[in-house]
Amino acid sequence: MYSQYFGQYLLNKKLIKPEQLTDALEYQRSVRLKLGVIAINEGYMTPAQVEHVHNMQKRVDKRFGEIAIEQGYIDEGQLDSMLNTQKQGHLMLGQALIERNYFTMEQLQSALDNYKSETGISGRQFNVIGNNDTQVIMDIFQNYGETMMNQVYSDYVTLLIKNIIRFIDDSPTVEINQLKSGLNTEWFVRQDILGKIAMSTGIAADTDAFVKVAGRFAQEEITEPDEMAQASVGEFLNLHNGIFLVNMSNNGVELDMNPQRVLKDYTIENSEKAYIITCHMIWGKFDVILM
Amino acid sequence: MSSKGQTILICDDSLLVRKKMKDYLNELGDFNVIEASNGESSIDMFRQNNPDLVFLDIVMPDKNGIDALNEMRKINSEAKIVMLSSSGTRKHLKESMDAGASDFIQKPWEESQIEHIVKNVFK
Repeated sequence: MYSQYFGQYLLNKKLIKPEQLTDALEYQRSVRLKLGVIAINEGYMTPAQVEHVHNMQKRVDKRFGEIAIEQGYIDEGQLDSMLNTQKQGHLMLGQALIERNYFTMEQLQSALDNYKSETGISGRQFNVIGNNDTQVIMDIFQNYGETMMNQVYSDYVTLLIKNIIRFIDDSPTVEINQLKSGLNTEWFVRQDILGKIAMSTGIAADTDAFVKVAGRFAQEEITEPDEMAQASVGEFLNLHNGIFLVNMSNNGVELDMNPQRVLKDYTIENSEKAYIITCHMIWGKFDVILM
Repeated sequence: MSSKGQTILICDDSLLVRKKMKDYLNELGDFNVIEASNGESSIDMFRQNNPDLVFLDIVMPDKNGIDALNEMRKINSEAKIVMLSSSGTRKHLKESMDAGASDFIQKPWEESQIEHIVKNVFK
């Protein structure tokens, strides 16, 4: 998931040419849908069954393997074997760069080391970005001294990353930090979650990123932060929070939420336990605030 | 499917949702599509227009969709009212069914789900 951000870094450092990056990202993309391809290759599923699972994934928050098992297309042993094959064959951007002969292994190692130290992304955070692993996200909140809300926030962020990939951009890089001081933002879309677990959520962005998020979610051409743009970013947050509420409900916790509100030129006050989840895409970044 | 003159009311506070729904309903047939952006105006529009089909969001300003549904049922107990919400929690599902919702669609909606409902209502 970090590939596009890392790619941007390589471009800035002039370690790679734009056309080489585009080629490597294309190459990487061609091997991304592998679980379905593996299933077809192994003779476990027909192309129509794979298509059916992909369609269902648009509606339900479940992984390819889970749905395929539920539908009776494969069994758990077959899924394990597919996942193992996928892990071995999974090519991150670095590996794609090597395979396309733009980098040697040594050049990649050095570029990655510099990238990590210059961007201040720790080994653990870097790992999250690669794996989207709830346990690693929990460790990050744990390191910040979060106890009460650790599980809830971790579930929230794991789902957030999934929903960004599903609706906004397929290769975000995500950083989790404590909000240490007040934050001024051009746009803030806020939605409060109520009930036994009360929390405030929001998306903060500058106008450029706000408009881009809006256009991507709406799948419409949006060029101004107009009413449609505001409705689109608001609906993305509302949809994500709604799915979060459904997941919590399935775990026996009933929550409610208020309608979302869009605020212009807003200052988010510093609060004791607030987190800022920065989502970097190749075209810009936005922050999700949890408090 | 005969659609001419049939009225469909979309109740959602999101301009984007209303536009997407309206665009798709216009593809399906020659409906009279009307809109409301909060709970109170949803009830007013329902009372004034007696729509053949309603798509009703739950999380809305002024009055939520469950309360609006209860009001609408008092006005017309036979109306086809389909909840269309991102918040399909067990509580909301139960409240919707108890208040007499005809169906419940969890957002993000699929065109096929809307088509299925529209075809059933106007067959």
